[in-house]
Amino acid sequence: MAWKRERRKRDTVVPTDSLSDVAFLLIIFFILTTSIQRLTGFQAEIPSAERAEQSQQAEKMPSIGLRGGGMTWNDQPVDADLLRAKLADLRLPSRPESERVIVVEASGKVPYQQYFEVLSAISGAGGVVGILSEERGGSSK
Amino acid sequence: MKMPPRRRPGIVVPTASMGDIAFLLTVFFMVCSNFAKEAGIKWTEPRAPQLRVIKQSNISVSIDAEGQIYLQGQPIPDADSVESGVAALLQRRGDSDERLVMFKCDQAVDKEVFEPVIAAIARAGGVMVAVGEEHKAP
Repeated sequence: MAWKRERRKRDTVVPTDSLSDVAFLLIIFFILTTSIQRLTGFQAEIPSAERAEQSQQAEKMPSIGLRGGGMTWNDQPVDADLLRAKLADLRLPSRPESERVIVVEASGKVPYQQYFEVLSAISGAGGVVGILSEERGGSSK
Repeated sequence: MKMPPRRRPGIVVPTASMGDIAFLLTVFFMVCSNFAKEAGIKWTEPRAPQLRVIKQSNISVSIDAEGQIYLQGQPIPDADSVESGVAALLQRRGDSDERLVMFKCDQAVDKEVFEPVIAAIARAGGVMVAVGEEHKAP
């Protein structure tokens, strides 16, 4: 006797009733964790060069010195307002890139706040920042 | 004559596409969000006049008030690690707009700490975007 086993096919249904609830929970998570920030600052392209190369070129470029809370422009003491005026006088945006480099040399204890002000002034005037760093342990950079 | 009772049509709000709309909104938020990598880093922004709204980058270097250096929110030992890390992240990025590196540093950090980091970003080929707070004159 041929015995046929009857297979029952079950309908498989993926429950999607709570899908919109899950999606809305995700939305609420993103809304709560997102903070719309508008960051302010400045963009500065800093050319990388060897110390010897920097020293040769630095002689021809205007330089800003930062020493112990004060600053100098070509070795003359200046304040932040005068520095901005000096940078504006150079009319840097109309010059070729090689002539827009302003050398910054810091010595002694210099906090980032002071450095930031100078770098933002150079960047705002259309200059390119050249950092002249002190030699450390015979390094050339 | 008795009138048959009025049949009120059942009011049904169509909710079939609700899940689709919700997922589209979720995708929108995910695409537009930029997760903060440096949420736990304590730093005081430096201030300067005439700052602009800057383009944000997904490469970030930070220095906290203690002088600890972070790359992408992870602490790293020194400036040399910044150079190799930033160079690796900048691989296959040609345009200067794609080479932006966000630099956040506490205002009190000394140049012995931040200057080698700035130089390392430059050596790695990055364009530094320094973050600060605009200080408006009274």
